[in-house]
Formats: sequence, structure tokens, C-alpha cells
Amino acid sequence: MAENTNPEPPKKDSGSTTTGISRTRQIIYQSGPLIALLLISIYLSFASPYFLTTSNLVNIVRQSSITAILAIGQTLVILTGGIDISVGAITALAGSVAAVLMTSQLNILGLTIGPVNVWVGILVALIVGVSAGFINGFITTKGRIPDFIATLGTLSIYRGIALLVTDGLPVPSHLTATAVSGQIPPLLIWLGSGEIYGVPAAGIVAVMVTLVGYLLLRYATLGRFIYAAGGNREAARVSGINVDRVKIAAYMCSGLACAIAAMVLVGRLNSANALMAEGEELRSIGATVIGGTGLSGGEGGVVGSLIGALIMGVLGNGLNLLNVSAFWQRILQGLVVILVVLFDQWRRRRFSR
Amino acid sequence: MENSSDGILLKMEQIDKQFPGVHALDHVDFELREGEVHILLGENGAGKSTLMKVLSGSLSRDSGRILVYGKEIGELTPERSRELGIDMVYQELSLIPALTVAENIFLGKPLLNRFGMVDWPGMRQKSVESLAELGVEIDPSLEVRRLNVAEQQLTEIARILTKQPRIVLLDEPTSALSETERERLFELIRRLQARKVGIVYISHRLDEVPLIGNRVTVLRDGRVVGTIPVSEANEDTLIQMMVGKQLTEQFTKHSSVQEEEIFRVEHLTVPGKLFDVSFNLRKGEILGVFGLMGAGQATLTRALFGLNSITSGKYFIAGKEVTIRNPGQGIANGMGLLTRDRREGLVPALAVPPNITLAKLSQHTPLHVMNLKQEKDIGAGFVRDLRIQPPMLDRQVMYLSGGNQQKVVLARWLYSNSRVMIFDEPTRGIDVGAKAEVFALMDRLTQEGASIIMVSSEMPEVIAMSDRILVLRGGEIVAEYGAGTTQEQLLRSASLG
Repeated sequence: MAENTNPEPPKKDSGSTTTGISRTRQIIYQSGPLIALLLISIYLSFASPYFLTTSNLVNIVRQSSITAILAIGQTLVILTGGIDISVGAITALAGSVAAVLMTSQLNILGLTIGPVNVWVGILVALIVGVSAGFINGFITTKGRIPDFIATLGTLSIYRGIALLVTDGLPVPSHLTATAVSGQIPPLLIWLGSGEIYGVPAAGIVAVMVTLVGYLLLRYATLGRFIYAAGGNREAARVSGINVDRVKIAAYMCSGLACAIAAMVLVGRLNSANALMAEGEELRSIGATVIGGTGLSGGEGGVVGSLIGALIMGVLGNGLNLLNVSAFWQRILQGLVVILVVLFDQWRRRRFSR
Repeated sequence: MENSSDGILLKMEQIDKQFPGVHALDHVDFELREGEVHILLGENGAGKSTLMKVLSGSLSRDSGRILVYGKEIGELTPERSRELGIDMVYQELSLIPALTVAENIFLGKPLLNRFGMVDWPGMRQKSVESLAELGVEIDPSLEVRRLNVAEQQLTEIARILTKQPRIVLLDEPTSALSETERERLFELIRRLQARKVGIVYISHRLDEVPLIGNRVTVLRDGRVVGTIPVSEANEDTLIQMMVGKQLTEQFTKHSSVQEEEIFRVEHLTVPGKLFDVSFNLRKGEILGVFGLMGAGQATLTRALFGLNSITSGKYFIAGKEVTIRNPGQGIANGMGLLTRDRREGLVPALAVPPNITLAKLSQHTPLHVMNLKQEKDIGAGFVRDLRIQPPMLDRQVMYLSGGNQQKVVLARWLYSNSRVMIFDEPTRGIDVGAKAEVFALMDRLTQEGASIIMVSSEMPEVIAMSDRILVLRGGEIVAEYGAGTTQEQLLRSASLG
């Protein structure tokens, strides 16, 4: 019989003597990212007189917000045990499609469309983002393809579609702009670079997305399903949860976050192009793991990811202020992510027996 | 055939091995002569496989001496064991599915030609030869995953033949073989005997003992009950030795069976594993399901709960036909499953309350808003009621002991209003005290009107707790007993045929 399970030796009992990790240690680990952010900030405020100026802080928030929004979606996916490499590509695709619709006149099947209203544009971007996420989730669950490979493939596909849509040119391009005098709508520009009482609108969007993510994970059944599916797929299944559907939902949330980020980004650049948000996959994954979400799934949360995105932003900004070349910044960014994952795995082996 | 020489091939003295909570081998003595087939018998968990793993070097012993050809052997590693000419055919197949038969046969030490390159034609040729010795024709260039289980088993045995072993360990080699294949294997064993190879043959099929054995050693609870020549080993003696006097355990049992039928399954079939299984379950009843390892219990529990994808059969809850194609539907119909492996049942990083509410939550839509305060109260209630230790609600369940983890899973099904609970090896790997608590809980559940299907390979607990017992063998129900049956009867039904 193929189902032989050997009862001898018995599975190692987790033992009645296990005390678990102490409460204080747990708190230290949970607030680790925040402490790191404070330490880096304190160091930078001594190292550069410019660091603590209002304009610089506003700048950091504005730059981190895209990564933060993407990291919230990324966190949901990573919590299920997946990973989304295609976030940058979905952002570019959603942004490009919306920007083209909002700035140019198109001829589709004999119908003349656009330039469309900004709200229609946003709605289309959201639909594009969520659909792209659905495709990611569908391929990886139903096709049983590793998440990494599935989204690596769709990364290329989505960028390719974005290139087709924009014809490889920035939007609005001189061609379309002269034809219908299309411009990126003021609402998006405000979203990307506007302020409310000195607080960047982009930062507020990021905080709102984090809040929604937090509420979803904490209070909605879907959030619980995400933790269960990532924490123990088999147990989730035995408890009646449709694990595939949960995973697809997480990818759709990630796509939604990409579309929101795309709107902020298009506003900030006052333009869209098929190659924007390049490198955001690493930054969003980095922010997520720095924020304490484990790559194996089931543990972590979105608040940490928001802080993780700020850490990535502060680090980049600090390196700029210290005149470190952009080339080195890339190397350091990659190193930080790898070191954080190394540390996380060492910690898990050490404390989670 | 009595041993012609008194050459002792192998002597194991006072072998001791402890696992956490279990004394797997308790000062075991074992001996193997040249050309002997020494059968190792025992119930599930008696220590047979552990003893063989010690000998093949994949488990280290805590104490005891091992002598091969009179020479004492220190630490045994798998490599050292192979150098000594000891080879083992594991119960769980150890072939690599993506490699060919020939590659698997020569795994680890491929034949080389004079240029130091892999000698493919030579390997194919030798593979064909050793397979022919077994009387089978398997194309050595086929990938192993394309073979059926019997062919894989024969390939595994062929692998051993290429190594010129002196001691062969066979762990239930016939479990997947047909009658003719088994006969071939026996012929081969006789040829190995003629070459003075010693063979340890693990089985729990009593009918094989007189066919192939010279001596029989019976293990029980990690101890040797006795070693006797096959001529003295009739079925009754062997069963008596295997069962013995059991430690008295604390069972709580009040029969609370009611007339009303709560669950019925008809013609449940899982291709190749489970054949036309039908039974019913009454309200308040504990239905025991007993079988030896691999008799189909695991498939049965999974199929009942909708975890098997290819299943045919009809399910009835309280006389009404229902569809159970996935666990969600099972839960909706009031079923619950305590998995054999607790790690399959719990989400380790979540605390106690979320683990308890999970099954009921799964019946809600994804955007349903949870009441965390209420959840915590529910958790606290079950922690108190089932005496889950330590009573800390925010502690991740991975830090609980086995028995307490089991209670958390149980609480989950209580909370989801399970009326039909499937307990798959409910006492596996938990200590005596926790066992008694689990039995008391089962008893309480049935008094409260729940029904339990208890799948277990522990005969004493099946007999003590069940109102009725089904015996599974080879994926079929072969016998049904009422309360008050004996271990002898169960073992006889489960192992003969």
C-alpha cells in the first residue's frame, strides 16, 4: 500500500516543558523595525545637517509612499506563502493604460474614445491592476507553478503590454499632447505631489492603504484565511478553507495596491511610461521582510511593512545625502534585503523549535 | 531448512533506543545465522522498523553491542553498514522517481568504464540480469515513476542484489506484491539462503511465517517477547506473543448508542486504495476502525472528509444524501476530522482562539467581520472546559504540548458543531495522562449525542472505547465486531487472508 506511514519512531512530541519565547523578547522582535528606523534616523541627523529639514522629510515620505503601497499588497501575498515579482510591472501597466486613456483620443473598433474623465481613468487602472493580480494567482494556484516563476513570467508580459499600449513612448507624448492637448489630470498630480497641511498626499494614501490592509488582516475572515493558508496550508484545508481562492484573493489585493501606487506615481511624474516603477519588486519585498513578515508565510503584518518601506526610503535618502553613488545604492539595497532575510531565518531556527 | 553451519552472522546485544516519551527498543537481543531467514514480528509500533534502522545505520542506538562475524562494530553509519554487507529494503520506498531503473539500481556507485566514464551499457546489462534473477522483466531505461508500486519494490530488491550483500533486511517486502511476485521473491530468498546470506524479514502477515522463515522473534512495546523456531510457531502462539498482557490504561466508557442513524456511507471507493466500503454510524456511537499499517485507514479518513480528489460513493447525513467533495462541505454537514498528524491540523503561528474558530469561520464569506472579543471569550471557554494547559490565550499553539494541541483541534470541532467526528489515531504521540483525558472527552462527546469514527492501530484502545469495530484489510472491510471482542480476534482478521 502506498499510504504506509511509519508509526515508529513516534513524531517528536513538542514536549510539555517547552516554555516558548519570552514575552519581552517577542516585543523586542516586533518593534525591531521601528527601533532600526529610529537608530538610522538618529545617525543620519548627526551625519548630515540637511537630513532633519522639513523639505527633506517630505521628500522621504513622498519617495517611500510608492514602495509602501506596493509593500502592503506584497505583504498579503507573502503571508500566504507566495511572492509577487510583478508588482513593478503591474504598476507600469495600470499607470500606462490609464494615462493613455486620460490623455489621448483613441480609435477602437470605429469608436472614438477619450480623453476620458479622471475618475474613469482611475477605475480602469484599478480594474487592470486587480485583473493582473487575478491572473497571477490563477496561474500559480491552478497551474501549480511556483509563485516566483509565475510572476516572473507575468512581469515580462505586463511590461510588454505596457510597451505596446504606450508604443514605448512617455505618455502624454508630444504627438498625442498636440493632437488633443491631453494632460495628466490635476487630481492625480495633486495625489503625487500635493500636500495637506504640509503632509504629502502620497504619504496619506500610503497610510490609508496600510490601514485598510491592517483592518482586513485583523478583522476580516479573509485576513484570518491568509494567515492560516500561509501558516499551514494543510491545516487550513482541513479546516474547510479553499486555499487556492485565498491565494488568488491575496494576489488580487496586491494588483489593487499596484494600481493605487500607479496613480500616485503617474501624478508625481506628471507622465507615465512602460518602464516606470522599475526595481519596485525588490524594494517592496525588502520593505515587507524588513518589516518582520517571514518569507515562508503565516507570520507578520502590514504595519511592519510600512515601517520597512520608510527604512528603505531613509536609507536611500541618507546615502544620497552622504554622496554615495547611485550605483552603490543599488548594491547596498540588495545586501540589506539579503541580510535581513538571513537574520530572520537564523532567528527562526534559533527560537522556533 | 535448518541452518547447516552454526556461523553466527550477526549478534545484537542489549540494544536500547529512547525517543521522547517512548522506549522504542528496550534492551533487545537479536541474532542472525548464515543462510537463515529470521522473521521479525510485532504489532504496529512494537519496534521492528526501529531495530532495523539501527542495524542499517540510519538511526543510532543509545546503548548495546553489535557484532558482525564476531567482530564488534562501533558506531554504525549507513556507509559503514553498507561496507559490512548489510543492505535494507525499506518499507517506504527509497527510489528516486525521476531517475531510470538502471540509475536507481546503481545509485551512489555507478559502474565506470576504463576511461572513468559512466558505463551505461554495462549498467543496463547488469540491471537486466538482477531483475531477471527476480523473474521480472522491467525495462531498465524506464523512469521509476512510471512503474507501479510492485515493480518499484522489485527494483529496490534488485538494487540490493547487485551489491553482493551478506545481510539483507526486508521490511514488509510483500505488502505491494501479487501472489506470483511474492512467490518469485520467496524463490530468490531461498537462493540467497543457499549463498549463506542472512535475511531479516519483517512482516505482520502471519501466514508468511511458515512459508519462508527459519526462526521468529516477536517484539512487543520495544521488548523481545521471545525467539522460537518456525516449527513451534503456530498462529495461536504467535498472536498470543504479539498481544500479551497489556498495561492497564484508564478508559472511560459509557455506551450511549441511540437508535437514530446519523451518518452512512455507501460503496466508498478510492481507486487502488479503498474498495466498496459501506457502513453506518448511529447517534452517540463510537465506531472503531482497526487495521494493520497500510490497510487503507488513512485513505478512508481522508475520503470521508472530502480530502481525496478521486472518490466515488454516497454519503448520507441523518438519512439525507449529501455531497462531500471538500472539507468545507464536510464541515457544513457537521463533520470534523482530527488528523493523524497534529501538525496537519493546527496553524502553529496562530494562538489558541483563532485555531479553534477556524473551521467555523471557513463557512463565512471572505469579508465577514470577525468579533475578536467574542472569539477570545470562546477560546477562554474551551481552555477552561477542556483544561488546555497552559491557559494562556495569546500563546502560539506551537508551544503547547502534544496532548494540549490535540485538545485545541478537538475544541475546533466542538465549536463548529460537529456531529460526526473522525478521530485518526487520536492518541498518537501523546503521554498516558493526556490519553486518558482524550478518552474521557470522547466518552463525554458521545453522551452529548455526538458520534465518533475512531481509526486506531492501538488494539486495546479500539476495543475499550468502541461500540462496534470494523476491521480493514487491503482497503476492504473484512470483519465487524461488537463491543467485547478480543485482541486475538482483531489481529486474526486484520492479518490473515
